[in-house]
Order: sequence, then C-alpha cells, then structure tokens
Amino acid sequence: MKLLLSDTPLTIHLKKENEIYIDLSQLKISNCIGCFGCWTKTPGKCVIRDDAVKVYPMIANSEKIIYVSHVKYGSYDTIMKTMLERAIPIQQAFIRIHNNETHHVQREVKNKDAVIIAYGELSQEEKDIFTRLISRNANNMSFSSYRILFVTKEELTSTVEQEVALW
Amino acid sequence: MVKTIIINGSPRAPKSNSKQYAEIFRKYYTGETISFMINNRNHSEICDHIEGCSDIVFVFPLYADGIPSTLLNFLKTLETYQINQKPRVHILINCGFIEPEQNNVALDMMRLFCRQNRYEFSSTLAIGAGEAFLTTPLSFLVKGKIKKFAKLVASKKTEHLSVTLPLSKKSFVKASTKYWIAYGERFGCSKEQMASMKIE
Ligand SMILES: Cc1cc2nc3c(=O)[nH]c(=O)nc-3n(C[C@H](O)[C@H](O)[C@H](O)COP(=O)(O)O)c2cc1C
Repeated sequence: MKLLLSDTPLTIHLKKENEIYIDLSQLKISNCIGCFGCWTKTPGKCVIRDDAVKVYPMIANSEKIIYVSHVKYGSYDTIMKTMLERAIPIQQAFIRIHNNETHHVQREVKNKDAVIIAYGELSQEEKDIFTRLISRNANNMSFSSYRILFVTKEELTSTVEQEVALW
Repeated sequence: MVKTIIINGSPRAPKSNSKQYAEIFRKYYTGETISFMINNRNHSEICDHIEGCSDIVFVFPLYADGIPSTLLNFLKTLETYQINQKPRVHILINCGFIEPEQNNVALDMMRLFCRQNRYEFSSTLAIGAGEAFLTTPLSFLVKGKIKKFAKLVASKKTEHLSVTLPLSKKSFVKASTKYWIAYGERFGCSKEQMASMKIE
C-alpha cells in the first residue's frame, strides 16, 4: 500500500487502487491518553474508537508513505503529531536493541520508504531540529529510507504531485 | 516575586510519572510553587498564573521522539498571550527508553520555543528509563538528581543534567520485559497476547 498522509487538504487525484490519500484535518482524532491499553489490555488496538483506528493500520501496511505536515517549534504541528502518538498500537510494549539503542518491537509493520514534506516559513534552526526529529523517528517508525523536503505552503501541491508521480 | 509555576504536560497528568517527578521536585525546592496539569480547557487559566512567576518548570514525557501534543497545543496558546515579566524556563523531561539523550530533540524544541518567544531557557534534567525508574530499588538516583535540579532552579545558575538506570542496554531490555509482563498480568493479558503481531 502507498499512503499520502496530510494535515491539510490537497487537490490531488490518486489513480491506482493501492494508493490512499488521507486528510487528517477532516478526521476526528483526539490525543493519546497514555493508558498503554494498546500494549497491555487489548494488544494492537486503541481504546479510543475514533478515526485514528482507521489510520494506524494503514501506516503499518504501507511500504511507501508521504507525510505532509506543517512544522512548529521544529516539531510536526499538532494535527500530525496527535496522529503519530495515536499510532503506538502498531508497536509492542517489549523493547529490543535496534541501531545500538533501545526501541520497541514492532508488530506487523512493513518497512517503508518515507518522504516527509514539511511546510511553513522555517528558520535554519527549525529545519535542523526537524531533521533530527525525523532521523530519530526513522528508528521507531520503520523507515528503511527517508527524504525530507522543506517547502512553503505555495509549493505544497506541486511538490506532492512530483513525489506521488515517483510511486 | 520569587514563585515557580510547575506545569505538567503529560497527557495522563493526574496519574503520570511526571506528577511523581514534580512532587519530588517540590519536596526539595525551597521556594513557593503552584502546580497545574494541562488539559484542553485550562490553557488560559494557566497562562493567567504565569504572569507574576519568576520561573516555570515544564514537566513532561517524551512522546514519539518529541513534545506531547498536549503540551504543543498549550505552547501555541501561551505564544498568543501577552506576558509582561517573562519567567525563566526550566525543563524536567522523562522518556521510557534507557538513553536520556533520546530527550535531546524535545529539549531543543523547548529551547526554540523560548528563543522565538523571548523566554530565558535555563536548567534542564533529562531522565532515561523514566517509566519504571521510581519502581526500582535505584530510585534514589533519580531523586538525588531532581534534588540537584531543584537547587539549580532556586539559584541563578544554569546546568543541563541527565540521569538513567545504571544498567547495560541488554539488562535494561530484560528488566523492561519483566516490567511489561507484570503490567499486562494486572489486566489478565499474557506475554503471548501482548506480543501479538496483529493490528486492530
Ligand atoms: C504515545 C506515546 C509515545 C511515547 N514515545 C516515546 C518515545 O518516543 N521515546 C521514549 O523513550 N518513550 C516514549 N514513550 C514513553 C514515555 O515517555 C514514558 O512512559 C514516560 O514515563 C511517561 O511519562 P508520564 O507518565 O509523565 O506521561 C511514549 C509513550 C506514549 C504513551
């Protein structure tokens, strides 16, 4: 599966069957409450039954993924960050050593080529922090490769089109 | 006025490790404190109390390698508030994994927030193995570090501290496996069930 996950509406038409576009801003997703139910009560399932439970299985299933997010303080802004926090059911509680650091064991999660399209008016410092965040995420989010593209809001649609064309 | 506002940014604040770390901080801190836990409804109440404080201590967990969205949302509100006398900002962050350095990116996000909004960024304490630390016989180590951090906040000095369980990564993996098996048992969930590869 190929997934385009965005925090803002995009005018894009995906043509193939296994290509999916999700606009998180149109979904109802509340924040993770840190209950660890998805690890210790109903493994693999979040207790909050809102729209996030449709999204994290798709994240797990995709071998190509494009994240589109506004950046704030060098972080994904809240819409994308809230979704990523809600995606921890795709990991187990159990910890392993991975790239010489401790990280969680993944459930049935495909290794993925990720492209992160980060938009906003960003300073170099902000871009540097975000770049470090993504290199950390790569360990926890099963990225076999990743690229980060910093763009302005105006450049967003054309950049997404170019990246989708590479699928 | 010397008064410190402690702001808990854990999404499970009332039952959080952050709450326990904040309580240890309060025990060792000599100055006056007020405490808040961020929720969706109390942003402006907290912002109102920031004016008049000399120091802020943000206490929160690492979430997906960054700042929890609960705290991120709050910072975006705080940014819109006019605070005349900006307090110094200190950070007490904890993460689940054993390497306290995994907190560094989140610390730099807080530093950036401070720079962009002209708050003085002061001392930090990064805790590794923060999920289980206080349940171990070695909890005195983290308490000792929080005591040192509390002294720094009371002084005008700035330092960046970290602490974690003195275990090899391998032993940590073993100990954490035990911790999570016991966690699951409380809900009648076996190790095999917890290790399910299925999603949804
Ligand atoms: C959604 C979520 C994401 C997390 N992400 C990380 C992480 O990226 N790295 C880490 O070391 N721990 C991570 N943790 C573990 C927490 O940081 C750890 O359990 C911490 O002790 C929780 O503190 P609290 O009780 O104050 O909320 C995460 C926990 C949750 C629920």
